[in-house]
Amino acid sequence: MIPVSVLTGFLGSGKTTLLARLMRDPAMGKTAVIVNEFGAIGLDHDLIETSEESFVQLSNGCLCCNVRSDLTLTLADLAARRAQGTVPPFERVVIETSGLADPAPILHALMTERDLAGFYTLDGVITTVDALLGITTLEQHEESRRQVAVADRIVITKTDVAGADVDALRQWLAHLNPGAMASAGVQGAIAPSVLFDCGSYDANSKHPDVGAWLARTSHSYQGHQGNHGHTHSDDYSSISLLREAPLRAVTLPLLLSALAENFGADLLRVKGIVHVLESPERPAVIHGVQHVYHAPVWLPRWPSADRRTRMVLIGRNLRESWVRKLIDMLDAEVADETARHT
Amino acid sequence: MSSAAAKPADDTEQLRAFLADSLALWHVDGTVHAADAPVIAEVRAVSGTIVWVERAGTDTPFRWFARWRRAGDAPGGVREGRPRACGSLVGLLAALREALGVERGSPIRVVSAPEPA
Repeated sequence: MIPVSVLTGFLGSGKTTLLARLMRDPAMGKTAVIVNEFGAIGLDHDLIETSEESFVQLSNGCLCCNVRSDLTLTLADLAARRAQGTVPPFERVVIETSGLADPAPILHALMTERDLAGFYTLDGVITTVDALLGITTLEQHEESRRQVAVADRIVITKTDVAGADVDALRQWLAHLNPGAMASAGVQGAIAPSVLFDCGSYDANSKHPDVGAWLARTSHSYQGHQGNHGHTHSDDYSSISLLREAPLRAVTLPLLLSALAENFGADLLRVKGIVHVLESPERPAVIHGVQHVYHAPVWLPRWPSADRRTRMVLIGRNLRESWVRKLIDMLDAEVADETARHT
Repeated sequence: MSSAAAKPADDTEQLRAFLADSLALWHVDGTVHAADAPVIAEVRAVSGTIVWVERAGTDTPFRWFARWRRAGDAPGGVREGRPRACGSLVGLLAALREALGVERGSPIRVVSAPEPA
């Protein structure tokens, strides 16, 4: 399976600079690049050093609006040409979106398109955020908040520019998406190993991302339970849920259905590790983008001594009290039904 | 419907509070009240729609029944006379959204996780 990473970020946030620098790293040698530029005249190819054959430029509009026709066909075509030997045998794909793109439809396509299944697997989402203008951009542009909300890795760019309040920006980012690892990258200088092989959607049993992700989110749980302090006026935010009692297996799909159906487009992403009553030694990892979920992946064991269910929901206008009541009531309902039939 | 299992009063209060929260989540102006048995929750939207929620009896494969009358409907209409049977709280919320004309998200779609490399 070829891992696919989606590189996104608002206009001018440093996506192309990051990609150009990454592509000079020998570790990125066998990478195919797909770049979506919004303007009619593409410039990025002149800025990114990669082989002609492994570079595809999509300049006919915004990728998220043309996923089926453009991205899916491009990826399928790349796979076919790789099999024919007419492109180098790439081992990774990076898709750079336009600055205004909504990554969610792109993720949906990568997760669900039959033409892509069996050859590509979604590795993760890398989002660039400008240290100088990032907070203003996040305040003013929903696209930027959505790009951060779905990220697995965040690269804070331009931290070397005078006036950049990186600490304040990090607070914003942690509020929007506590599960994403944020790193600074001046002029795109950041090791590929930090950004790739996230494992977020990886069905392999190793799940390298789970331990790190849990470590990052544990901070937000503690913050939530204690004095969280800062507040934001934005409409996008995250909810971190911690539950001591295991969930019954039947509760899980009911819960995910209820979240998808009742939050609708307001729910951007769900990640979690779930203690399932019927599987006490093997937790379930769940990943969803809006209403599309991977089937839960069962870890071979708990990644730490902490066996509590932990879930992060990212989106807009999410009501934490409603979600907590929903979980309690659904699990009670399932318990009651189970008791009725045994 | 009349053979509904007895439930602790706090369960019913919890349900009514949850339904009221759900209205707020969907941006629906309305209230949720207690009502005469077998109805355990009466939802009244400012639009004029009324929804009655009952517990299904233990002799049925369902959990809830929902009946409703939309604004402008004559009393005793189809949805008032023929309740929607719901197998879970998720179904009850779906019925409530339909009654109130709330359009939210698509049903969940589960895709296979990628096979290990």
